[in-house]
Amino acid sequence: MMPFYYGSKARSVPEYLSLRFDEKTRGLNAITFAVMTVFSSGISLYALAMLLKVILHWNFDLCIWAAAGIVMAYTFLGGLTSAVYNEVLQFFLIVLGLSPLVIVALNDAGGWEGIKTSLDPKFTHAWKYMGNANDNDMGINFISMIFGLGFVMSFGYWCTDFLVVQRAMIAKNMNAAQRTPIIAAIPKMFMPLIVVLPGVVALSLLKTNPAFLEKVKDVMYNGDEINYSMTLPALLKAYYPNGLLGLGITALIASFMSGMAGNVTAFNSVFTYDIYQAYFIKNRSDKHYLNVGKLVTLFGILFSIGTAYIAASFNNINDFLQLVFSFVNGPLFATFLLGMFWKRTTGHGAFWGLLGGTIAAAITHGLTIAEGKGGWIAPMYEIKSGMGQAFIVASFSWLANFVITIVVSLVTKPKPDEELKGLVYSLTEKVRSNETRWYLKPGPLGLILLIITILLNILLF
Amino acid sequence: MQERLNQLSFVIGLFFILVSIVLVVGYFFVEQLSHNINLYTGIGVGIFGIFMVRLKA
Repeated sequence: MMPFYYGSKARSVPEYLSLRFDEKTRGLNAITFAVMTVFSSGISLYALAMLLKVILHWNFDLCIWAAAGIVMAYTFLGGLTSAVYNEVLQFFLIVLGLSPLVIVALNDAGGWEGIKTSLDPKFTHAWKYMGNANDNDMGINFISMIFGLGFVMSFGYWCTDFLVVQRAMIAKNMNAAQRTPIIAAIPKMFMPLIVVLPGVVALSLLKTNPAFLEKVKDVMYNGDEINYSMTLPALLKAYYPNGLLGLGITALIASFMSGMAGNVTAFNSVFTYDIYQAYFIKNRSDKHYLNVGKLVTLFGILFSIGTAYIAASFNNINDFLQLVFSFVNGPLFATFLLGMFWKRTTGHGAFWGLLGGTIAAAITHGLTIAEGKGGWIAPMYEIKSGMGQAFIVASFSWLANFVITIVVSLVTKPKPDEELKGLVYSLTEKVRSNETRWYLKPGPLGLILLIITILLNILLF
Repeated sequence: MQERLNQLSFVIGLFFILVSIVLVVGYFFVEQLSHNINLYTGIGVGIFGIFMVRLKA
């Protein structure tokens, strides 16, 4: 999809939609995306404030405002460049700051073999117990997993989430833009070693190690209920001594700040270009829009503070994040898939499909209930986990969008071919890379990633 | 030197060298920091920091 984004010279994902379809589709996507970034940013802010509260024993409200102030300072002054530069530093900080924790905790749990002995096998296999929804704690089967997560949510995230695509859009040339998501996928594939594995290790230690339980009880438990969002801070508290504890906390702070700053910069870009400039004040100087962007950054952070308090009502903030993605990225992926690969797709089809997909997401959420969340229309179907619910919501929103877009497109008039050059696959000149080194070509790099992905799935089957 | 400060890998390298110095020096001279994990991590991030500083743009 990168040749269409980069080749069209659009500055944002909604702007691409205005070129490919029309202004109303752009506006709808800009609004839903702006809402999503504010929620995502609030989730990072909540996690950051909780970390400061638990480790440093600061007041929660003070933590929220202090963390928001720091992110605002560097995004306000440096904009996207400072956010991207910080993300690079923060990435290394996260990897180097948390890797020792995984090694020490894993060793304490008796290694992978020790974990397999102490935990139910469904925690140490990715696919083996996905045949039936009742056999795993997520409450979904392999079809929902492959379609909801593997297809809709993953493709939606990598191909339509402006936060991700924006990093490629500012690349120096097309080849670099195509390589951006591929290179980003390499550390992303191994991130579960730092993010997911500690969770599994903690579960094992809670069952087998009373000393560990005693150390983390005040951090991980709300009464009798485990707060899974606090797993990493709890492990830090249990295993890192003075010195390294500072590095570990900094790594986690960096992780949450990076997430928040990324969302805030994406929010201000979309709001300024795709809402303010597109619908309110046109044809003003760049300086004017820069100032508006800075003001929007301020409001984005204030909204994030509000959504941070909503995130506090979830005992697993990743479930909340997945739910937000399922409402926005899920239906949007169908719009892009049809828009980029079927030239008959019309602006009316895209708009009503996107709207219908988002409404379908809301209806699915209203008719399903998971861990007490959803079911606000009628709790007709119960799903064991919030994450499973998000995958189901994403699946239905995608399907609704796909069908509505095709039906409406077939009864409305498409744009002429001349207006779609560079925006649709069949009417775009295929990019031939001048790069001679194989390791800098997107094709071979993508193939290597695919092989590693298959191997990892076999290994953790 | 000023030019290199605009190079991201150099800045990242400097940061980790600083972290390394704190952990390694702390291990030997500050009782509260005398834990093996501080020493090993300090050496590890120090090697990474030197690698990043020496990396050509």
